[in-house]
Amino acid sequence: MDDRLRKRSSPFPLYEIPLRDAKVGDLKSLSEKLGLSLSIEEMARIQEYFRRIGREPTHVELQSLGQAWSEHCCYKSSKVFLKEFIFPVQAPYVLDRGDAGVVEFDEDHAYALRIESHNHPSAIEPYGGANTGIGGILRDVLAMGAQPIALADPLHFGPLDTPTEGLPKGTRHPKYLFGGVVAGIRDYGNRVGIPTVAGGIVFDEGYLGNIVVNVACVGFAKKSQLVRNRASSVRDVFILCGGKTGRDGIHGVTYASVDLTDRSVREWEAGAVQLGDPILKEPLIHACIESAQGGLLDGMKDLGGGGLSCVVGEMALAGGFGAEVDLERVPLKEEGLAPWEIWVSESQERMMLAVLPESVEKVLRIFELYDVPATVIGRAIPEKICRVRYRKATVLDLDLEFYTVGPEYTREYRPPRTVAMKDLKLPPEPTDYRTTILRLLAAPNIASKEYVIRQYDHEVRASTVIKPLQGVIGKAAHGDAAVVRPLVDSWRALAIATASTPHVTSLDPFLGGATAVDEVCRNLVAVGARPHSLTNCLNFGNPEKPDRLWSFREAARGLGATAKALGLPIPSGNVSFYNESPLGPCPPTPVVLGVGIVEDLRRCVTTDFKKSGDPVVLVGTTQAELGGSEYLRLQKKGQGPPPGVDPRALRAAIDHLLAAIGAGTVAACHDLSHGGLAVAAAEMALGGDLGADLKTTAMDPMRWDLQLFSESNGRWLVEVQKDRYEEFGHLMEGTPATFLGTTGGTSLHLGKGRQWTSLALPVMRKAWGETIPRQVVVT
Amino acid sequence: MRRSSIRVGVVFIEGTNCEDESVAFFRHLGAQAERVHLKQLTGDVPAELRRDLDDYDLLMIPGGFAAGDYVRAGTIFAARLRSKLSKDLIAFVRSGKPVFGVCNGFQVLVEAGLLPALGATMTAAPEAVLATNDSGHYECRPSLLKLENGGSCVFTRGMKPGRVVTFISAHAEGKFLLPQNREKKMLKELVDNDQVVFRFVDDRGRYAGYPWNPSGTTYNIAAICNREGNVFGVQPHPERCFFRHLEPSWTRESGGDSQYGDGKALFESSLQYLEKRF
Repeated sequence: MDDRLRKRSSPFPLYEIPLRDAKVGDLKSLSEKLGLSLSIEEMARIQEYFRRIGREPTHVELQSLGQAWSEHCCYKSSKVFLKEFIFPVQAPYVLDRGDAGVVEFDEDHAYALRIESHNHPSAIEPYGGANTGIGGILRDVLAMGAQPIALADPLHFGPLDTPTEGLPKGTRHPKYLFGGVVAGIRDYGNRVGIPTVAGGIVFDEGYLGNIVVNVACVGFAKKSQLVRNRASSVRDVFILCGGKTGRDGIHGVTYASVDLTDRSVREWEAGAVQLGDPILKEPLIHACIESAQGGLLDGMKDLGGGGLSCVVGEMALAGGFGAEVDLERVPLKEEGLAPWEIWVSESQERMMLAVLPESVEKVLRIFELYDVPATVIGRAIPEKICRVRYRKATVLDLDLEFYTVGPEYTREYRPPRTVAMKDLKLPPEPTDYRTTILRLLAAPNIASKEYVIRQYDHEVRASTVIKPLQGVIGKAAHGDAAVVRPLVDSWRALAIATASTPHVTSLDPFLGGATAVDEVCRNLVAVGARPHSLTNCLNFGNPEKPDRLWSFREAARGLGATAKALGLPIPSGNVSFYNESPLGPCPPTPVVLGVGIVEDLRRCVTTDFKKSGDPVVLVGTTQAELGGSEYLRLQKKGQGPPPGVDPRALRAAIDHLLAAIGAGTVAACHDLSHGGLAVAAAEMALGGDLGADLKTTAMDPMRWDLQLFSESNGRWLVEVQKDRYEEFGHLMEGTPATFLGTTGGTSLHLGKGRQWTSLALPVMRKAWGETIPRQVVVT
Repeated sequence: MRRSSIRVGVVFIEGTNCEDESVAFFRHLGAQAERVHLKQLTGDVPAELRRDLDDYDLLMIPGGFAAGDYVRAGTIFAARLRSKLSKDLIAFVRSGKPVFGVCNGFQVLVEAGLLPALGATMTAAPEAVLATNDSGHYECRPSLLKLENGGSCVFTRGMKPGRVVTFISAHAEGKFLLPQNREKKMLKELVDNDQVVFRFVDDRGRYAGYPWNPSGTTYNIAAICNREGNVFGVQPHPERCFFRHLEPSWTRESGGDSQYGDGKALFESSLQYLEKRF
């Protein structure tokens, strides 16, 4: 044991650390030695606190502060920017902002939404990391008293065909990471019985050293069963329920708050990745929901990062109280855990309930039926103090404000010295458009993700009315959003979609944040849903480096400004920093999950072409915006400005298109994103197993590759019901809508003036369908 | 018996995850339905929570991953069923009351020896197994099933033989396998007894391979019943196509039933059978 630890006399090992007289130079090494990841300034602040109260800290106290003050737990580098750009984006129908945001669905019901990252654990142990990512996001939604009803997973990996040689030590091959993450999501989500209905997969060399695995969940509740994440009465007792506590997941938050180096990888492996158990989570959800529906809960919160050390203090302080906990009452997986390990362990499948004494018996009986352990471990107290005992000895006794609130920084930020060029420098025009389009369809970022989507149960709970793959059975192609129907006696439903924009953000982080909002709204509108609320996960590099922080700030600003202009609240979110490895930072990755309201699900539309002879119309304006596009990525030459965002035009287009869909004039609708117009048309044709003949001559004049492959925002491709074309035109008045041609045949014909190309459906299907299955094969 | 007095018990343990929708849909059709934890049937709960198999007219074992399916799909649930409820179950089946297993529930019925039940009402050891899909992983996809049953099965009596329905496959272990050395004989027996209820077909009605047959299951078998037709197990989920707007390609179709999908017929048939028979 470290010679700086002094053993106190107690029936078990309890150490105190002589901190009050430590020199400045010792503070940093002490922080490192104990694995706290705290800075010298933070250690000095702790030193000053203990000098003031006139005693030395215990080992447990320092560990707890390390957890509570980690970037992961207290958002110390991001909060100042979130307060400026994200938190003010509000709407009157937001009911609560806690572990998840809670938003009104109808008079009697609400939905909850949240997204978060699980990047570092998934980079080390992809199966377990993804497992517990799903487990954690489910608990965030559950903590609001809401039944989880849908999951979504935006994922980002290095290219699957990366050569093994040359990867830095400690870095896993993308094929291994991809396989593990997909299997982890599949095995947890499917077992726990919550459908995985949306998400996305992006491949980029920038994710080789640090993958980005985001997990999102939407829940649903009667308003009367909603719960706050806090103690509500000074009489409340704390019931710890669910999984037992073990050594798995110790220091998860601290390692999540540093870069991924070979050393930190080894430390993670030593026990920071938690172990998930979906078969405990499944009854745990039932028991918590039943308790909430019975009105038995005064508060509820999930145990995530920091474990007990974070949840108890946060719940007590949010209610205006303090807390007392007896650690020996915590059910353990194994004997011999030190008190600090029990206190900071991030073992999975645990929830904390605040319950009035008269309801405790009823709650315990519910948990007993489900065979889920539930134990009273503490109670609220009037003084704002957190006091933790273990075998009658006090191991922690801290002022709760000091302990829980944590530091907040305005760190230095500045743009990188080389800002990306915004001038258009076109690559040479393709001589063979057919091959170009087929290569685009086969590009991993565009190619069919059916291999992954079909491994996730997207149908469990029998409420998925619009599926992630849409079209003719056996030939379905990508949809833009999924729709779930939470109530069997109502046609009102929730649409769910995600967007992530690393390529645009790399060029212009403000536009990257804005584009993520634009894209997620387009996705929702494409099925006929009105965008209603957003949640976001901002995945960036080390915030102590000013250029990374600038990029983060710009993305948050763009995201917030666009959401505000569209009137969309962001009642929850997550920031993930330190996504860096010896290969550098991962691409700056803002991820947005959007929820839309479908007034009448019978009016929903899908992306697949429906019948021959229908007019096909391009909605929105196409500009020469190739920056960040898949086309430029493919050509490996040329550059261009990233797509601009025009919230006013978008807002008008949304209104008009929703009116047209609501009136039943639209047969199919697909948003234009990766690969632009050509890829959207191809996917609609593939899903419907029906060709089309489209001429871009009526579009704004520009080179054909710009028309076909530009990724300008605010656009959709729409198949209009033939006999309703005139009505569609009236409803779209005020928004640019360009007639391109009609559906029909077994090929996609594209033309402009004398230029033309033709692609047979089976040829496109082969190019589009085979990439991912071929790349995942382990050779 | 009247529709409103039919009592449906949807049995679950930890990891069963389709019980809520199953209960909701039986209730939607006018029956009384409740979810009942296996412990409530085996008596391992306080008195006021106890239930008896006789309290129910129809027993359903819904889909999910009972106890994680960590041994083999359905094994642990089946072992718990058999250890304490064998006698009651046999009496229940012999009385002619319907038993309905969907997906994991099908796997449980096979593991418990209640299907195909060639040798006895409840055989001492499983006669068949639902093995891992040929693809090696979970498959969630719409499947087309052709009704093969000639009228013995109480869950499909409301449907015309030869009809093709759409249900949702969602399983990792759906490959119906018989003992290799007795496969031919047993299969013949199943066919002769009118125990094969649904077989997977492609979009032109042919008995096809992957992905139309999502698991590589023997003889394209998607569902079977016992000789008497009152114990029924189906691998793809009918409840996930209970309503028209749950069907995988409802946005492509107009006309037809404006409210219900193909799955409703199974629920409806079993209730009609109970109404007539009891």
